[in-house]
Amino acid sequence: MPDNWSFVAAAYGLTAAVLLWYWLRLGKKEREIAVLTRLTAERSRGPSSSGHPRPEPGSRTPLQQNQRPGAP
Amino acid sequence: MVRVLGWLSAAALAVGLVMAFGVAPREVTQGNVQRIMYVHVPLIIASYVAFGVLAVASLVYLIRRDPRADRVAHASGEIGVMFVGLGIATGSIWGKPTWGTWWTWDARLTTVAILFVMYVGYLLLRAMIDDSERAARYAAVLGIVAALDIPLVHFSVYWWRTLHQPPSLMKPGGFTGSSSILWPLLVNLVAFMILYAYLAARRVRLLRAEAEATA
Repeated sequence: MPDNWSFVAAAYGLTAAVLLWYWLRLGKKEREIAVLTRLTAERSRGPSSSGHPRPEPGSRTPLQQNQRPGAP
Repeated sequence: MVRVLGWLSAAALAVGLVMAFGVAPREVTQGNVQRIMYVHVPLIIASYVAFGVLAVASLVYLIRRDPRADRVAHASGEIGVMFVGLGIATGSIWGKPTWGTWWTWDARLTTVAILFVMYVGYLLLRAMIDDSERAARYAAVLGIVAALDIPLVHFSVYWWRTLHQPPSLMKPGGFTGSSSILWPLLVNLVAFMILYAYLAARRVRLLRAEAEATA
């Protein structure tokens, strides 16, 4: 029977490609979650880092008063 | 721990490749195309293990409502689907030069195709339901029911007349072939088991991080 090396290469190549794709996908998702976690932590720390303190509730404009807390 | 598993699986896969191409002999009747078995058989057995873990974790989830069990089931489902899909594909690639066809609706191939479709359905079900608790509950039931197909896949070659040969490794009396074929098979089987453990641990960690980030 002929050796059919092309079939062997296809089977191993396909397996390697799919496993590599999944591994890279896990890495990408991990990086996305790390960014999301960092942003959430920064937001929950309050408005001190921007240099623009939020006005006191009594001095806010109507537009500012209607804003939901934490909305961009 | 996850990092160690990652390096361990990479090393085991590399040794498996050396065994498959450097140590295992050219098979007398099939020629070198038989080397596909060193990836096909471990993929299928590792997928059985992944779906078995999924079923046990699903049962634990239904009893205790522990989200950790659900995350293990979810991760195992993803990896199991990938492994069984690759197992079907590599089997099909082996089948063309050996049987003369890419696919035939014999009992083993049909039951394994049903297994694949059921677990793709499991992942779709999880993705389609917004309420995570409800998704976990429904998926757990489906995961347990779908696992009933695993013994059907395994014993199909005994119960029906099939083109697919009987098992080589998981059979009464054990492996009867040459040790030069057995060892590469076993090394690759261990390599894919470690790979499953590594990918599952990493996916579980990611699912926990996703749950915490969106909470």
